[in-house]
Amino acid sequence: MKNTQTTVLAGGVLALLVGATLFTGCMDTGDGPTQPPEAQQSISVTGSTTVLPVAQLTADLFMDTHPKTEVRVSGGGSSVGIQAVGSGTAEIGMASRDLKSSEKTRFPDLVRHVVALDGIALIVHPSNTVGALTTAEVKAIYKGETTNWKEVGGPDETIVVVGRDSASGTREFFHDLVMEKEDFVATQLEKNSNGAIQQTVAQTPGAIGYVGLGYLDDSVKAVNIEVSGTQIEPSVATVTSGQYPIARSLTMFTNGEPTGLVQEYLDFILSPDGQMIVEEEGFVPVQ
Amino acid sequence: MPESTHPEAGSTWLKNLKEQGVRSVWFLAASFATLTVFFILLFLLHDALPLFATVSPLEFLTGGTWNPTGAVPSYGIWPLLVGTLLVTLGAMVIAVPLGIGSAVCLAELAPPRVKAVAKPAIELLAGIPSVVYGFFGLIILTDWLRVAFDVPSGESWLAGSILLGVMALPTIISVSEDALNSVPGSYREGSLALGATRWQTISRVLVPSALSGITAAVILGMGRAIGETMAVIMVTGNAAIIPDPITNLLSPIRTLTGTLGIEMGEVAVGSTHYHALFGVAVVLLLITLGVNLAALWIMTRIQAGYGTEEQGRQRLRVPGLQGKGKLITFLVLALLVLLLLPLPAAAALLGLGAGAVLIHRRLSRANMQHLAFALLWAALGVVLAVLAVILGYIVVNGLPAITWEFLTQPPRDLGRAGGIFPAIVGTLYLVGGAILFALPIGIGAAVYLSEYTRGGRVTAAIRTGIDLLNGTPSIVFGLFGFTFLVIFLNFGVSLIAGMITLGLMILPTIIRTTEEALKSVPDSVREGSLALGATRWQTIHRVVLPPAVPGILTGTILSIGRAAGETAPILFTAAVFSTRFLPDSLGDPVMALPYHLFILATTVPGAKEQQYGTALVLLVLVVGIYAVAIALRHHSQKKIHW
Repeated sequence: MKNTQTTVLAGGVLALLVGATLFTGCMDTGDGPTQPPEAQQSISVTGSTTVLPVAQLTADLFMDTHPKTEVRVSGGGSSVGIQAVGSGTAEIGMASRDLKSSEKTRFPDLVRHVVALDGIALIVHPSNTVGALTTAEVKAIYKGETTNWKEVGGPDETIVVVGRDSASGTREFFHDLVMEKEDFVATQLEKNSNGAIQQTVAQTPGAIGYVGLGYLDDSVKAVNIEVSGTQIEPSVATVTSGQYPIARSLTMFTNGEPTGLVQEYLDFILSPDGQMIVEEEGFVPVQ
Repeated sequence: MPESTHPEAGSTWLKNLKEQGVRSVWFLAASFATLTVFFILLFLLHDALPLFATVSPLEFLTGGTWNPTGAVPSYGIWPLLVGTLLVTLGAMVIAVPLGIGSAVCLAELAPPRVKAVAKPAIELLAGIPSVVYGFFGLIILTDWLRVAFDVPSGESWLAGSILLGVMALPTIISVSEDALNSVPGSYREGSLALGATRWQTISRVLVPSALSGITAAVILGMGRAIGETMAVIMVTGNAAIIPDPITNLLSPIRTLTGTLGIEMGEVAVGSTHYHALFGVAVVLLLITLGVNLAALWIMTRIQAGYGTEEQGRQRLRVPGLQGKGKLITFLVLALLVLLLLPLPAAAALLGLGAGAVLIHRRLSRANMQHLAFALLWAALGVVLAVLAVILGYIVVNGLPAITWEFLTQPPRDLGRAGGIFPAIVGTLYLVGGAILFALPIGIGAAVYLSEYTRGGRVTAAIRTGIDLLNGTPSIVFGLFGFTFLVIFLNFGVSLIAGMITLGLMILPTIIRTTEEALKSVPDSVREGSLALGATRWQTIHRVVLPPAVPGILTGTILSIGRAAGETAPILFTAAVFSTRFLPDSLGDPVMALPYHLFILATTVPGAKEQQYGTALVLLVLVVGIYAVAIALRHHSQKKIHW
């Protein structure tokens, strides 16, 4: 048969492909026995993308000082975090919002740990000349009543309203505090992350968006918030002092009081080293 | 459907039992796909139903506002439905002429040398992961549209349609080209012998003869566009509004898939909003099921009416698009143009069309052919240029990020430093697991369909189920994986949940390609084996399966490419942002390249270079896998002669 060769060749490649994936799996589990059998080797931290940078960077440092441990950090959103920690698929759930009543009844044992404070900054394109807005002006923009920058002292340019998706904790907070629970304009562009908002605002001259302080950089310009005549810059200092009006707490939930590695990790975040990372990432320390 | 086993071969009771047992196992495998479709639908429905305690189904479907977290929550998906429809329509306006033009050009005009390059290139276009398209769209396309049309933001219906159009192109081109190639050569020769020009032959004989295949191609492309999630999230702006006026191409828009993709992760499990999202998923699934059923129906009807190669001889009286048909096509097109474009542009376009008709009347046959061929070449040129631009852009920007460290280190500082090694390995794990899950079931199903049955209601139902599973949007698989595997079975976000979800997604591809491979084994080989006294099962696994291995392998590799590039199914089931070590059990979550790129592009500021680097690695991985498949197919086509 002329095609035997092809068959053998093809079969070989297939076996190799499947075998390779299997084998890498085997090799990996082979690493297991080399680790000493300590109580808990890895913890999983999941949830809000806002808290994620703090969790990830503290986790990196924590793992450096605690070799053989692993802290796995993933995003997904506040609800994923609460669901995961409540149902036991993760040890820590990150959230940028409080528990909803339905979540409280489903997971009554969740314990809340505030790890940082976060100011929500209003950002515009760097070319925008508007330097400060009152919360009432911000609300008018997000309600769709103010549609051109010249109405708030800026250039003659249509305002592109950018906000978070309707499941976001940041949006909920903004909705409560700035919008006073009134509806957003329907034409608002909706993004599923702080970074996506920053990206859009950075490349759209007429845009306005809101992000956590950690997402401020040169590509966008933060607008000061005017409170009874004084302009307040969104910064760690103004949030700490309580002057900056749009701020909230970032939390980590555990199912019951934390123990073991989970407690060590949480303690580390609240330690001076951990809180320094909090500050470096643009959040506000709580200790 | 019951097929008699050979009495001589199955002389002993035990042998017969074994034959029956083997047959039953393959029957179960074949039924698996159909059962999965029903199960997905039921499970999504189960999670959607509580919604209707608070919102009536009518209100849900026709309500004009989607605002689940407003002071007064409202769950109307009408704007999302309209958005999905408009984006898909726009994508088709772009993809259909380009796709069919390129297919005709490839099938009829292109010399072998051009074809040898262009065809694999277009297949590679299919291999570009959707998150890479979205990434390109977000950074380049939306910005370009904003400047070009002088609008406040380029995130719009048009951006979504362009991207989806490009993504639908490979499907449309390859299926149409196959249809054109299967038109018997005698048609072409007959037409040319009668003195028709090549263009007349193409437009009056070949294209009408291949119409069933081309229709199927368009509908399959449409299915891809409706179900796409990641690219749409990144470029359409996601404002849940109906464009005002409805023809405003530059208005932001939101689709059903986009809503699922951005809201699912943050929603509180068990809330009304959660159930509403499952309602959206059910509607999306029903729409895609409808589209796919329509495609199947049209294909069987046209096939019954026109026949394929064997029955095709009677059908030289080409029904064609003459007279009434032409007028109707023209009216529909005109209506579309008027609906889609603002008035001045529509008038201009219609004027252009009228002009074209006038020119058409005046032009000599030879000049007509020149014009038509120029347009066909232009279509192919545009498609290849798009490919070159996307690939070029990502390669040029991604190369500086590729270092040894980047490929072998875990990420540090949120992916802004370090590498993507765990993501590469995680992707391989996910894909390997998905293949291990899907391959046995897929091959079993194909063996049953090709060897044990010739028709009947049950077989028809199984086939329909497989086609429907194939048309199910990837985000729906993701949602199903989340509610069933992650929550109901309590697997958590884990490797195993991702593997099964991806496995279900690639199952139809494996079944189809395997079945094709088995079909290409001539019956005489089977008959010979059976005549020598082999049982049916012996015949299958010793005689029929071995020569089909290259075909099966091609299908497997295509599935690997698809699974490696998908983001939506692993978004809620398997992927994590960062792990330092590799997973050491199936219950661990993993990093994956498409998810890593998605997060870098949307969540991590200051990781530009790593974004491009990850996009390039993902691209090389997927495209590399596709290239192997294409080369293998080429190789086996050359080698096997029956």
